[in-house]
Amino acid sequence: MSVVVVLQAAVPRDIGLFEWLLDGDTWTGRAGILSSLLDTVILCGAVMATAIVLTVPLATALAHYRKGELTLTWFVTLSRAIPTFAVAGLLVPIALKRGWGFEPWPIFLALLLLALPPIYLNTYTAVRQVDQGAVDAARAMGFRERDVLFRVELALAMTVVLTGIRVAAVQVVATEPIRAFLGGDGLGRYVRDGLGQNNDTLVVGGAILVAALAATTGLAFALLERVVLPNGIRRLQSTQTR
Amino acid sequence: MFDLPVLQARNPIIRWSYFVDEWDQIQAALQQHIELTVIAMAIGIVVSSALAGVALRYAWSLPPITAFSSFLYTIPSVALFGLLVPYTGLSRTTAVIPLASYTLLVLVTSIVDGFRAVPAEVRDAADGMGLTPRQRVLQVELPLALPYIVTGLRIATVSTVGLVTVAAIIGQGGLGRLILDGLRRAFWTPMTIGASLSIVLALLLDAATYGAGRVAMPWARRGRAS
Repeated sequence: MSVVVVLQAAVPRDIGLFEWLLDGDTWTGRAGILSSLLDTVILCGAVMATAIVLTVPLATALAHYRKGELTLTWFVTLSRAIPTFAVAGLLVPIALKRGWGFEPWPIFLALLLLALPPIYLNTYTAVRQVDQGAVDAARAMGFRERDVLFRVELALAMTVVLTGIRVAAVQVVATEPIRAFLGGDGLGRYVRDGLGQNNDTLVVGGAILVAALAATTGLAFALLERVVLPNGIRRLQSTQTR
Repeated sequence: MFDLPVLQARNPIIRWSYFVDEWDQIQAALQQHIELTVIAMAIGIVVSSALAGVALRYAWSLPPITAFSSFLYTIPSVALFGLLVPYTGLSRTTAVIPLASYTLLVLVTSIVDGFRAVPAEVRDAADGMGLTPRQRVLQVELPLALPYIVTGLRIATVSTVGLVTVAAIIGQGGLGRLILDGLRRAFWTPMTIGASLSIVLALLLDAATYGAGRVAMPWARRGRAS
């Protein structure tokens, strides 16, 4: 809340930001913050789940067999430069023509395209860099190839994989608000409505909500990284970075 | 939102005659898109050169500078455009500030990495040959750092072209305007054209930056990847 007070003081004239954010009606109802937030979280969750399922096993397997170095460089170039707004804008007419409707396919696919590169990139590089000694030891202990892949290589690469997932999640959450400008709703709707109605309270309030969600996502995933990581690997890392 | 069956009946994804009939509009949008990209990149390059200069001179300042640039980078574009509206209105300034801010992380990192990759022996040799610090930086270190910097410039250019379309939400945004106008009028042709042209423009500017790098680094034309 202190952020709101600072912003309120910094804005050129009083736009009643505080009142808007503290008003119960702002939060409840169909166009309320809570239901918009849920909209956004569900879409981003679906995008991330799909991206992880599509990318992590594939990248792990490709890195294991040292295949697809070319796709790696391709992903590096791509990862920072995907014009999500243009991609979604291109997909909207196609989706409507095919009768898929405005939502959620265009924005879902555009965000998915945004989420794939960081996860793929981190998984691939991390698995490739796993200590060959550990892999050989696992083989010697009679691990099947699939177990070597997922229980040794992927486990050892997990920190970097999780970082990739965090980067992707933050980008997806930060970009999702454009959905409100492409015929959908979600947390970006307040900025859109505010701009349409020339209402600075809605614009700034909505912008704060969007930024807060992105920041929270980053923090939440950083916490998750600490919780999910197996103890053995954490110990391994602390000895490695000694 | 709209009456879909009616829309679908006679509304092609792209109507080619639009290129001829509305060329003025397309041209204006394209021009604004390029202007916004160039202005944002120019400001980004100046600011990040200064920041990288400080970071290279005083090593302790690199972490806070990187933290600041990453902080800017993680602010959602819709939010940053929105937050500036009460100050600078629906103006070009409101579009340029976020666009330039987003380039900082990539550019600062690439400049710093580039200069740090210059071998110490080379630097010593330049000093030993009696070059002044300014000559050493401009004639020895900068050329050696260029491959990194060009890579950074390419990433920053392509992502700026993509982000310019988002500035359409505050009434700027070049080709992004075509996307939003098309959506508002439920007319798909401008949407398709705006979206495709912005992707094509990104690829062209990327190729142009790559080409400029090739011209600036004739020695890198053989073998070494940049």
